[in-house]
Formats: sequence, C-alpha cells, structure tokens
Amino acid sequence: MENANKSPLANEPLLRIEGVSKIYDGLIKAVDQVTLNVASGEIFALLGGSGCGKSTLLRMLAGFETPSQGRIYLGGTDITDLPAYQRPINMMFQSYALFPHLSVSDNIAFGLRRDGMAKEAIAERVEAMLKLVQLTQYAKRKPHQLSGGQQQRVALARSIAKQPKLLLLDEPLGALDKKLRVSTQIELVNIIEEVGVTCVLVTHDQEEAMTMATRMAVMSAGSFLQVGSPKDIYQQPNSRQVADFIGSVNIFDGLVKQSPANSAQALGIQVECADALLRVPSNQACHTGMAVGVAIRPEKIVLSRKKPTAKVNHLAGVITEMAYFGAHTSYHVKLASGKVLQAQVQSHADEASADLSWGDQVYASWSDNAMVLLTQ
Amino acid sequence: MASLMQSLKNSIPSWLTGRRLVIGLPYAWFLILAFLPVLIVLKISLSEMQTTAVSGMVSWQGTWPSIKLDVSSYLFLASDELYLATYLSSISYAFYTTLICLGLGYPFAYFMARAPKRWQALLVMLIMLPFWTSFLLRIYAWKTLLVNNGLINNALLALGWIDSPIEMLNTPFSLMIGMVYSYLPFMILPLYANLSKLDGRYLEAAADLGCHPFKTFWLITVPLSKAGIVAGCMLVFIPAVGEYVIPELLGGPNTLMIGRVLWDEFFSNNDWPMASAVTIVMLLLIMLPLAIYNKLQSKGHA
Repeated sequence: MENANKSPLANEPLLRIEGVSKIYDGLIKAVDQVTLNVASGEIFALLGGSGCGKSTLLRMLAGFETPSQGRIYLGGTDITDLPAYQRPINMMFQSYALFPHLSVSDNIAFGLRRDGMAKEAIAERVEAMLKLVQLTQYAKRKPHQLSGGQQQRVALARSIAKQPKLLLLDEPLGALDKKLRVSTQIELVNIIEEVGVTCVLVTHDQEEAMTMATRMAVMSAGSFLQVGSPKDIYQQPNSRQVADFIGSVNIFDGLVKQSPANSAQALGIQVECADALLRVPSNQACHTGMAVGVAIRPEKIVLSRKKPTAKVNHLAGVITEMAYFGAHTSYHVKLASGKVLQAQVQSHADEASADLSWGDQVYASWSDNAMVLLTQ
Repeated sequence: MASLMQSLKNSIPSWLTGRRLVIGLPYAWFLILAFLPVLIVLKISLSEMQTTAVSGMVSWQGTWPSIKLDVSSYLFLASDELYLATYLSSISYAFYTTLICLGLGYPFAYFMARAPKRWQALLVMLIMLPFWTSFLLRIYAWKTLLVNNGLINNALLALGWIDSPIEMLNTPFSLMIGMVYSYLPFMILPLYANLSKLDGRYLEAAADLGCHPFKTFWLITVPLSKAGIVAGCMLVFIPAVGEYVIPELLGGPNTLMIGRVLWDEFFSNNDWPMASAVTIVMLLLIMLPLAIYNKLQSKGHA
C-alpha cells in the first residue's frame, strides 16, 4: 500500500484539487472554485449540510461527474478526464450499493476480477479482507442476509480490496443507528489506519467528522468556509457559520470600540456589546466601528451565585431553562439585555454551581481565551 | 331500523368476515373461470364422441356409479406423428418469437428506462398505442403489406431492387413477423418496469471497481433484471404457443401450429374429446416446465 503513495514529485500531495467547479444548467454552482491538497495517509472530511456540494465534489473525485472547471491530480497525474473505471480510486457508497445478486466474497472479489488477477491471488485477497472485517463465516451469504453493520463492513472490504491510492467514503455511517455508529467509527478508523490508505470522507455529522478526520473542511454553498484540524476549527472558527455549524455557541454581536492599532495598550480588541464591553485577545485586522461577533462555547462558561472577583468577563442573569444530561447539565441564562446565554456545566463541577435551579440569579463568567472574534 | 340491521347482521354466517370475502374473491374467480373449465375439458378429453354429443362419464347401474374413462384420444394423439410434429413446431415458433422479442425488447426497454423522465410517459404511451386498434385489424394490415402486390413488394420493384415479388405472405417469415410484432409490447413493458427501478448506484459501484460499462451490462444489469426477463418471456411464450389467429391469417400450409389443429378438431372434425386431449397435453407441456422452473427458483433462494 505504501509504495502506491510515492509520487514523482518530491512535495506533491497525494490528491491535488485545483480550482474545481461544477456548474449545472449554466448557473447553479454546486461546487465553486475549490482548491485543496490532501497528503498521503490523511483522513480528510468534507463536512456540510445537505446541498452544500460535498457529495458533488466526492463524485468528481470518483469520476461520476466531470468538473466544469479546474483539474484534479492524483499522485501528480491529471485524472480529471479519466473515466471512473480507470481511476485507482475506490468508494464506499452511502447505503453501500452491494450487488444483491452476488455473495459477500463475490462482492469483494468483483473489483479484483476486473483487474485480471490470478484466481488463487483473488481467493487469498478476499480471505484476507474477510478476516480484516471479521466476516469470514459470512463469505457465502447474500447481502440481504446480513445486518446493517455487517453490510457496512462488506462495503468497506470491497472498497479497499483493490488497495486503492485513495479511498472515498460517502456518509460511511449514515445508515447505522446511533449506538452502532460510535463503535463503528472507531473500528472504521482502525481498519483504515491498518491498511494505511488515504481517505476523503463526506458527512453531514460534525461529530463523525471530528472523531474520524485528521483534517476537515467545512463546506457551504459549494465552497470551503474553513479548512483545518477538527480542534482548530472547533477552537478557532473563522466565521459565524462555522462556529454555528460545529457544536453550539453563544455569539455576542457588537462594534469594535478600540483596536490595538489605535491604542498603545495591547490588551486585545475591545468590543462594545449590548451586555458588556468585551476585551477579546485577537490579532485579527479590524477597524473601529466594525460590526463583529464574539463567540463563546457553552462549556467554557462557569456559573456561580457569588459575583466573580475578576473585573471583566462576567455577566449577571437569571436561569430560565435547565436540562440534565447525566455527564453535564445545560442551562439557559437570560441576561439583562434579554439575550439568552447557553452554558454547559460538568456534573462533577464544584459546589458553586451544584444546586442551581430555575429562577436563580447567577453570574456567568469565562476566561479571556474562551472568546473568539468573528469578523465575518 | 336498528332491529332490521341487527337481523341482517345475524343472518350472515359467522365465518363470512370481510377479510375472508376479500381474500376469497380472487380464489372464487380462479376456481370458476380457470380451474373448473380445465376440469370440464379434462372430462371431455376422457370421453367418447357419440355422433353429436359427448358421452357421459358416469352412468348409474343400480346403486353403484360406474365411471368409464376413455383414453383412446390420448392414445391416438401419441400414435399420430402429426400431433407431435405440430406441438414441436408450435413450441419452436413460440421459442423463436420469445427470443427475437427479447433481443429487440431488451435494448428498447433499456433505453426507455434511461431516457429523461419527461419522455418516459410518452414512450410508454407509444408502446401501448397499437392496443387502441383491434389486434385483428393490425394483423390484416400486415397481410396487405406483405402480399405479393403489397406495399413492400411494390416499393422494392419500383426501386428496381428485385425483378419479381418476394413470396412473403403465408410463409414462416410472415408468421414470425406477425408474432414478434404482436407480442413485443408484452416483452417491453415488464422489462421496462424492471429496468426503470434498477438502482443507478450499482452501475456506479461497478464502474468504481474498474468494470467497463459493457461488462457492467452483462455482470450487473442483466442479472438484476432477471425477474423482468422471466416475466416478459412468459408473457410472450405462453400465449404464443397456443396462438391461432396469427398463423391462420399470416401463416401458410407448412406453418403448423397447435391452435390450428385445435380449431380443426373442434369445428371441422367435430371431435371434442380429441380436441380436449390436444388442449390438455398442450397445457401440460407449458405448465410442467414452468412448475419445475419455479421449484428450482424457490430452492435457490432458500
């Protein structure tokens, strides 16, 4: 598998997407000027809601759609005009598309037979694949005789049997129920890492993207909003849309009052909000009077009855809603301005927030680093 | 009023529920219009012809009924080679009709199913369109096309491609034209219904695994449309074996088909037991292979 990834150029990424667009009927831009490099060994996730263009992009990588503009390179070779059946890329389809008239082992052998491999070599490879996905005793079954989880493993085995240079996963866990999904996520990543294949996966489930991917792109309206590691995107979202899409978030709207450029004090950017004057540690370019947002994740907010000792970063409010989730409790705190703040408190948190309830007067506080300035 | 309803309700026997009525109707239909007639035909085939009437099978002698089975018709059927030859030629005409219909109908249905959605309804309409004209009229139309001084021969003569008219009418050729033309829709429609449901992702999955589109057709599309192929072939083959009108109008003296023989036995020879025996044997010839096929199919799935 490793040798498959050696590229003719030294620093050439395994997959290079250059300015790719897909335009339907001359005006609908399903994918709009996307450029991306995926290095060998990465598990890259394309995350977005339905209709954001993630599936179209994946289908262009597989060869089922032709880009209207731009080129796609695999290991330095231009594959844009190569038909699907000639690409060294395999895909695990959403809801699997296992051939219903073929047995499990015939499904896995299908691609190998097309390569004209020797019979013994095929049998050996199929055997190894069945062992890898722990389905050896189901080799003779037909797909409809298997459970959803087993079908998913057959689909995985079929897509990696040919040892593709690039593996595409289209909503790999979408057809499984929630409980099975968590255990399968880990299993799937383990198998992919064992085989060492580079992956591009498409999902609408941010949890799935975050647990499986080494790097991800958040997509909307055909283009990338942000590309980075799951941690970067969660901690440092670059826009309201990304902050909103990945997990829940509180956003304070405000105007920049004073930025470091016109103040000698490098205390960060001061943002005048309805509830308070927030000092956000950020080096983003902005000017006085600019409309910005300040994002704070609910789990970074601390609730207490006593007024915090610090002078900044706290607001008073009243608890209007609370919901107990076992590991944590979620609160809605109504501020003086009428804005509702979401806060998530770990169940083992200290006494201060232990017995908070509806109607309680509380102080919500957070650290400087909890705030992220959103300029768009 | 309420008491009337109550008494009405009481008069309905308890076993007659709505559920049973609904399930029972098709059974009753089948029993009266399919099973019973076959039994009657079977009975006639085992009787003797007595000048103008068919002999009774059961006669009462004292208290005991005596059943007389006359198998002479079957014996005659087996001894006369003409019947065997006619059966074989019927089956072979039906077989070739089915084969040609499949060969023409499959690509037709395939491209119909692949056509843009807004065209598909129109294409189905075009397939059904001939049904709006009487079947008999359409066969007569073929007659006028194929006859020696018909449209086709006249056109070929005018073009100078032939010197004398080609003998087309009342030959196996004209018979096959009529059969294929008449039965083609019965092949196309079930195939279209099947192929239009074929999930395009299977074809994409095959392409993804390195399968050339031509090979995908044989490895994926054809096996997955097996149910449609079987349905279409049965809809063509079964009525084609017993076809009477087409061989009568388009066939010739040497295109023997069992439908003709049946007609002759019933209406020319007035030999009902013989005609019934011919029918029963034909029924068996068609039903037995089908029953065996179905048995094998269900075994294969278990």
